[in-house]
Amino acid sequence: MAIGWFDRLRIERLVWMLDQQIYDLPRARRIATRREVRANLLEASADVGTTEALRRIGGSRGLAEQYLVAEFGDRPRPSWIGAIYAAGLTPLLLNYLLSEVTNGFTDGVRAAHGSGTFAFDGVAYLQHALTVTVSGSEVALSGGSWTPWTYAIWLLIVIFAGRLWRLRRRSSQVRAGATDD
Amino acid sequence: MLCVDTTQLLKGVLDLAVLAALRDEDGYGYDILRRLRAAGLQDVGDASVYGTLRRLFTGGFLNTYVVPSDEGPHRKYYALNAAGRAELDRNGKTWREFASTMNDLLGDRGIV
Repeated sequence: MAIGWFDRLRIERLVWMLDQQIYDLPRARRIATRREVRANLLEASADVGTTEALRRIGGSRGLAEQYLVAEFGDRPRPSWIGAIYAAGLTPLLLNYLLSEVTNGFTDGVRAAHGSGTFAFDGVAYLQHALTVTVSGSEVALSGGSWTPWTYAIWLLIVIFAGRLWRLRRRSSQVRAGATDD
Repeated sequence: MLCVDTTQLLKGVLDLAVLAALRDEDGYGYDILRRLRAAGLQDVGDASVYGTLRRLFTGGFLNTYVVPSDEGPHRKYYALNAAGRAELDRNGKTWREFASTMNDLLGDRGIV
């Protein structure tokens, strides 16, 4: 049975979705898995049709779980991809929050006093005090960096998002000598 | 009603079934799946078999190698190694003993 481009796209979609869920596998193992699943699906598709092949394999989530359990065992495991996302996105979110608060303060003093230099305590616990200098349409900021608490919150979010405490309980099940093609 | 859940039975012996499917000839994922279905294990799930293959490989019971294919992407073949054959022998013996016990139990009571 010939496989058309639309069916190939459906297979690629599943392979891509699987790939997103097995990021915690070692890179070489993840690439090998992707290739293997694609090859198996193409053959199954030629054999029984793409719809049936995809139905038989189930969702990408179940398949990813099989590979992750095979690699790490079925005990709770950390999520490196979750930790990486949290490490990247949390500073963006925090900086956005802090800058919005600063902008609010700047707009407020400008409306009330026009030009001048103003001290702002910053967001309690999250931000050091900052000085806002307004001169016409120009605004200069100094200070306002993260406090140690903010860094601690960042770290905690990374730990929770990645469930990194599970690292302590996890015994390595990956054979050191196991290689993949 | 008490019923024998073949899915659960299969889950318990899937490792053994996959090892047995590879006893005489190396195979790639879908090929092994076909062998299992041809042998009568119709309910076996694709994802379960692929996961089992990976687990057996990670456990050191299988070796792998890649073979180019004219019809499509390269295929990753699985082969039993010495540890895999020993595991197959050991688990096969366990299964035969268990099946024999169950057969005796059912036979003694005139069932089946």
